[in-house]
Amino acid sequence: MANISIYDGTSLFYPGATPFGFYDNDYQFQTDADKVVTFSARRLGYPIENIELQDLNFYAAFEEAVTTYGNEIYAYKIRQDYLSLEGTPTNYTSLNTDVIQPNLSSIIRMSHQYGTEAGVGGTVTWHTGSLVVTQDQQNYDLNLWAQDSASISTTDRIEVKRVFFEAPPAITRYFDPYAGTGTGTAEMMDTFGWGDKSPAISFMMMPMNYDLQKLQAIEFNDQIRKSQFTFELVNNNIRIFPIPKVSGGKLRFEYIKESDRNSINAPGTSGGVSNVSNVPYKNPTYSEINSIGRQWIFEYTLALVKEVLGYVRGKYGTIPIPGAEVTLNHADLIAAATLEKGALLERLRGYLEETSREKLLERRALEADYKQKELSLVPQPIFIG
Amino acid sequence: MSLYGESRDISLFRHINRELMHDIISQQVIYYKYNLEENTVNIYGETTSGRIFQEPVILYTIIERNDNTAVLEDGLPTLNQKVVFKFLRDDLVDASVLVEEGDIVQWQNAYWEIDNVISNQYVVGKDPLYPNTDSTGTNPLESGLENFGTSLSIICNAHYVPADRVGIDKQRL
Repeated sequence: MANISIYDGTSLFYPGATPFGFYDNDYQFQTDADKVVTFSARRLGYPIENIELQDLNFYAAFEEAVTTYGNEIYAYKIRQDYLSLEGTPTNYTSLNTDVIQPNLSSIIRMSHQYGTEAGVGGTVTWHTGSLVVTQDQQNYDLNLWAQDSASISTTDRIEVKRVFFEAPPAITRYFDPYAGTGTGTAEMMDTFGWGDKSPAISFMMMPMNYDLQKLQAIEFNDQIRKSQFTFELVNNNIRIFPIPKVSGGKLRFEYIKESDRNSINAPGTSGGVSNVSNVPYKNPTYSEINSIGRQWIFEYTLALVKEVLGYVRGKYGTIPIPGAEVTLNHADLIAAATLEKGALLERLRGYLEETSREKLLERRALEADYKQKELSLVPQPIFIG
Repeated sequence: MSLYGESRDISLFRHINRELMHDIISQQVIYYKYNLEENTVNIYGETTSGRIFQEPVILYTIIERNDNTAVLEDGLPTLNQKVVFKFLRDDLVDASVLVEEGDIVQWQNAYWEIDNVISNQYVVGKDPLYPNTDSTGTNPLESGLENFGTSLSIICNAHYVPADRVGIDKQRL
């Protein structure tokens, strides 16, 4: 008959005794493994009661506890620093012992979208294009133009960001005698017969506000009395005003390809950290965990062992004994283990939260306030000069 | 296909039963196995030189006691008490004891003779001694039944026997 041995009060750890072997070669882990077995077994009632487990079960729980502890620590670090970590190379050996320098890379990366739309930066290239204006043709299909001239795919579109179809700047007609501003002096000089007495170009220094008003007057004049240069752009169909009277001029514009805007790959982050799963944190080095961390690990190991023991004792609801059946304490074990695991995790997360950058800065600020308050109670000597 | 009650599970049951019976309940009896070969009988089937037993064995058991009653036999009050001894079958296997009717169990300073032996407490309803294999050692429906289930207990119904009728002296222990 098969007789599966159970824990007999002794254990001797050896590398390879844990399921994953993450820490098997760590001397401190090797030393603590058997101590944890003794601790857990005694907390469960051994040697008064048998523990229906083997040392391998204890080692597995111990390894899981260390890994869980590391996961909690590094998951917290990732949450804390993710904005600085996103996009950074993943080929670091490990970030476990590195202090993360905060940076604005993710904030700037997120802001690129606004720069793109505002035309003041971003990651989407603005292309330039032009089409030849035809006499008496007022409407032009830029979608058609894009297919022919912009080398875009049939499923892509362009979005026109800017059209260079404007009247000449008013400043170019500052001295235009026909602009109606009264500033032109050549005609006046000719009228009086003094044209040949005047230099070819004459300027009169005027105050700046005068110049601005004059330019505005030119523009108002054009808008009100003339057919102003303007356009309508709907669904990439552009209608220009006024109707061109000659062929050959070029209508220039800037556009983006919608496929460029829809591109979801942030430039410069290829192969970098893309999510929390590839932030280069590794399992912790057990020998570097301090006593506070180790005590948490011991207690979590006990909870895990309790859980396993509950499952072992509870595989069958009742255990047959000669002429009767007994119900073991598996339900109590599992309930207690679940509760303890949750409490331990909550305690650790609370502890980590208390050391978050936000909380630490809050505390520092609070300390500074209290210091100021206390110092204000110190009598100030009155200076008499 | 059998899934539950494999020998590993049975081993767990054995551990728990032994912990319960040996370390927690710890009821012990002395078992006297009737030695058929050494006993000589006359033509009436009566022993001629007293009953002879094999070397006694101490066993763990669970005892279910009924109240004793006193009945008059030949004008004399005689104690009568029924007791059930429940043994873990694996303990008996380890002690090489085959429990049979007529064997004597000593508990404390009294003796009980076994009237009836019950052996039908099968875990998951199977006894690995009956895997139903053919001459080639295979079961056409399912193989490996010899690794599942167990006959867990031997339960003995016994009645009180006065010491003088058993003829076992204490110094023979």
